[in-house]
Amino acid sequence: MRLSRYILRRLLLVIPVLLGVSIFIFALTRLTGDPVSAYVNEKMTSAQIEQVREQYHLNDPLPQQFLYWLEGIVQGDWGWSRTAAMPVTDAIQYYFPATFELAVVAILIGVVVGIFLGTRSAIKKNKPFDHATRIISLIGVSIPVFWLGLLLLQIFYGELNMFPIKGRVSESYIISGTMPNGPSGFYLIDSLAAGNLVLFGDVLWHLVLPAVTLAFGSIAVILRMQRNSMLEVLSLDYIKTARAKGLDESTVINKHARRNAMIPTTTVVGLSFGSLLGGAVLTESIFSWPGLGRWSASSITRMDSASILGFCLLVAFIYVMVNLIVDVLYAYLDPRVRLG
Amino acid sequence: MAVKSESKVATTLEVPKHSQLINFDEIKAELRPRMREWKNSLGLIRENWTALLGIFMVLFILLMALFAPVLAPQQSNGDPMQIPRDLELPKPPFQEGVPLLGTGGNGIDIYYGVVWGARTTVVTSLYVVLTAALIGLVLGGLAGYYGGKVDEVIMRFTDIFLSMPALILAMAIASILTKSLENMMFALIIVWWPSYARLIRGQVLSVRENTYVEAARAIGSKRNRILFKHIIPNSISPLIVSITLDLGAVALVSASLSYIGFGVGPGYAEWGRMISDGQRWFLSSVSFNGVSYTPWWALVFPGVALLIFTMGCSLIGDGLRDILDPRSRRG
Repeated sequence: MRLSRYILRRLLLVIPVLLGVSIFIFALTRLTGDPVSAYVNEKMTSAQIEQVREQYHLNDPLPQQFLYWLEGIVQGDWGWSRTAAMPVTDAIQYYFPATFELAVVAILIGVVVGIFLGTRSAIKKNKPFDHATRIISLIGVSIPVFWLGLLLLQIFYGELNMFPIKGRVSESYIISGTMPNGPSGFYLIDSLAAGNLVLFGDVLWHLVLPAVTLAFGSIAVILRMQRNSMLEVLSLDYIKTARAKGLDESTVINKHARRNAMIPTTTVVGLSFGSLLGGAVLTESIFSWPGLGRWSASSITRMDSASILGFCLLVAFIYVMVNLIVDVLYAYLDPRVRLG
Repeated sequence: MAVKSESKVATTLEVPKHSQLINFDEIKAELRPRMREWKNSLGLIRENWTALLGIFMVLFILLMALFAPVLAPQQSNGDPMQIPRDLELPKPPFQEGVPLLGTGGNGIDIYYGVVWGARTTVVTSLYVVLTAALIGLVLGGLAGYYGGKVDEVIMRFTDIFLSMPALILAMAIASILTKSLENMMFALIIVWWPSYARLIRGQVLSVRENTYVEAARAIGSKRNRILFKHIIPNSISPLIVSITLDLGAVALVSASLSYIGFGVGPGYAEWGRMISDGQRWFLSSVSFNGVSYTPWWALVFPGVALLIFTMGCSLIGDGLRDILDPRSRRG
C-alpha cells in the first residue's frame, strides 16, 4: 500500500471514533440532569433560561438534540464555563497555551531522557547502569504524579528554595504587566522573540519542576520501550555485519542500532502524550499552573460539568489526532507497516 | 497378599462409574498438567527476586487491610472509615503522647488513616479490576469467537473508550455522578473494561486457530463449550498479568481522582484524599513542645503506602509476564 493511501485510510478510520466520542460526551451532557445548566449563568431570569432552552432545542427529541449539539460543537459553541465565567471555547483558548507549552517541554524531556537511558541500559544489559534505570522506570510507572509533585516542591522549594512554588512567571512581571506577550502564547518563545533573556530565564526557572513532574511517567514508559527495541535490534544480523566489517562501536550504536530502535518507540510517545494530558490536571493543580488542567480541576469542585466535559472532548480529540500522527509517522519510518 | 489386593481392586471396579456424582479421577487427570504448570511457575517465582519483593510489598498492604481493626482499633462507634481527629494543629510523628505517625489537617490520626486506607485501596482496586476483567472476558470472548457484527459493534465501543486517557475518561463519567466511592468505582469500571475486551479478543483470535480447538469442533463440541472450556482457559495468562499490573494502575488513578476531589469526602481513610487533606499544611510550620516542624508526615506516609502497593503490583506483573509465558521462559 502506498503511503498516501495508508494515510487516507487511517484518516477515514478516525471519523467514526470522533463521532463515537461526540455521542458519548453528548450522552453525558444529557445525563447530568438538566442540560440547560451548561448554557446559563447565575444572573439569568427564568424567562431567559426558557429562551436558552428554546435556542438550544432542548425541548426536541434526543437525536435531533444531538445534531444541534454537534452543529454547536463544530461552530465553537461548547456551553458556558461557570468556573472561568466565560464560554467554554474562550476558556480553552485562554488556558490552552500554558498547558501546551508545559506538555511539549515535558514530552521533550521524556523523549530525550527516555531514549538516552533506554539505549544506554540496553548496551549495558544486566550491568549496574541497567539495574539503576530499571529502578527509575519502576518508580516512574508506580509513583502518583501528584505525590511526586508535592515531594519535589517540599524539597526544592521548601527545603532548598531553589525553584519557585507556582505560576509561569514571577509575580513581579504579572504586577508590572511585563510578562511575555506574543502571538504564540508560549512564554519561552515569546520572551525569546522579544530578546528578553532575563524573562526567558525566569520562565524556564518556573517550568523546571512542573515539567519534570509531568515528564517522569513518560520517561519510564519511553525508557522501557527503547531498551526492549534496542535489545532486539542489537541481536539482528545487520548489526553483526556492521561490527564484522570493522566499524567502531559508537558508529554501530548511533548510526545503525539506535535509529532503527527508535521507530517502535515513537508509538509509545503518542500514547504517553495522552497520559501527559491526564497528568496535567494533577500537575497544574499542584504548581498553580494557569492551564487547562487546573481549570478543569477547579471545575470539579464547582460541579461545573460543561467545563469538565468540554475539556474531556478536547483531550479526546487531541489524543486521537496525536495517535493518528504517530501512526502515520510510524508508517513513514517503517515501510513494513504499510505492507500489512 | 497378592490375592487380597486383587480382590480390593475388583471391588472398587464393581462400582458402576455413572453412579458417582463427580468423577474425581477424570478431574484429577485433567487438572494434573495444569497443576504441574502452576507448580513450575511457583518455583520460578521463587527464583525471581524482584517478583518476590513485589509479593512481599503487596502482601504487606493486604495484611494491613485485613487486620485494620486489630492494627488500629476503632476508638468510637460509627463509620470506621472516618479517621479519628482531635481538631488541633498537626503534631509530628514518633513523639510521646501522639499517634504513631503524627496527626494531620484537623488533627487526623495519620497511622489510623494509613492502615484503614489500605482497605479502601485494596477493595477499590480488586473490585474495579475484577469486574472490568469479567466484563472484558465475556464481551472480548464473544467478539473474538463469533466475529462479524458482534465483533464490529463491541470493538467500535472499545475504540471510543480507549480514545481518551484513563484519568480524563474517569473524570468525564464521575463529573455527572454524585461524589462517592461507589460512583468512582463505577466510573473506573467503565474506563477499564475495554482494554480487557481487546486483550481477550486478540487472544481468542490467535488461540482458536490451534489444532486442539479444531479437534474439539470436529468431535462436535458446542460453540459455547469450545469458547468457555478450551479457548478462554488458554487465553488466561496475559489476563492474569494485566490484572496484576492494573491493580496498581487503578489504585493510582483512584487515588488521583480522590486527590482532585472526586470520590470520598475529607477525613475519609483514603490515601489520595489524605494527601490532599495534608497538603493544606504542607510548607507551613507548626510547633510542638517548643520545636518547629514542617508537617511533611501528613503527605509522606499515605504516599509511601500507595507507592508500596503500586510498585508491588508492577513488580509482580512484570515477573508473572516472564513466568507465565512459556515461550519467553525457554528463550
